[in-house]
Amino acid sequence: MKETRLKILQYITGIGLFFFAGTHLIVSHLSSGEPTTWESVSGRAASAGWLTLYLLLLIFGLYHGLHGLRTIILEFSFPNYAVRVLDWALVVIGIAIFGYAAYIPISAF
Amino acid sequence: METEVASSEKPHLPNRLGVKGWVWAGRYTLERYLYTLHRLTGLGLLLYVALHLGANGFRLGGEESWTSAIDFLTNPFGRVVEYLVMAAFAFHALNGGRLILQHLGYTLGKPKPPIYPYVDSMRRRRLLTWVMLAVIVALAIYILVEFVT
Repeated sequence: MKETRLKILQYITGIGLFFFAGTHLIVSHLSSGEPTTWESVSGRAASAGWLTLYLLLLIFGLYHGLHGLRTIILEFSFPNYAVRVLDWALVVIGIAIFGYAAYIPISAF
Repeated sequence: METEVASSEKPHLPNRLGVKGWVWAGRYTLERYLYTLHRLTGLGLLLYVALHLGANGFRLGGEESWTSAIDFLTNPFGRVVEYLVMAAFAFHALNGGRLILQHLGYTLGKPKPPIYPYVDSMRRRRLLTWVMLAVIVALAIYILVEFVT
């Protein structure tokens, strides 16, 4: 994919994360209740809305984070074959993390 | 304009400064230090997300496993880390918004005739930077108060 498109996806996922991660942080870390108790977590896990939010947060977060990491790494001037290896490694890592992390809320739904 | 060259075909020049260049290569502007902080907060958030996803795995072990993990993580050090994550997120999100606006050219302002003393585009954008920093400081204080109370 062209670098411009990758960068535009970085912007789009960043804007999405502002809302998704912002909602997650406010509900799970700033709310006055007990958001981390088993009852609260199970309650959210049974909701299709929360499941959708978690999956979107995961997809957007993984792309944004791994592309950001790639941008930093590529500043250190690697030969072309190393860039291709890095790209594929990040894709594989991203898919593996997505599989593991998505299984948790899906299995609880 | 769209970049026609894929990353793998770009000529690569040596990065002589390396990580040191994030902090110092002569006199940097405020925005350049924000760029460094953007990277540091991004890497910090990425590390936190990795640990968070790992901790989420305790959910698979059932209520007892989850509760013991949460009990282990609920301590003063955990609260400090949680606060730093919230503050880093606030900075990274707002600075990222500023970068998007700048990269897409929305903060350039109208063209002006070049009359001395010249005002470069970076100084024209400076107001936005200060407003953003004020909002971040206000948010960081608000989150701190919420955490303490």
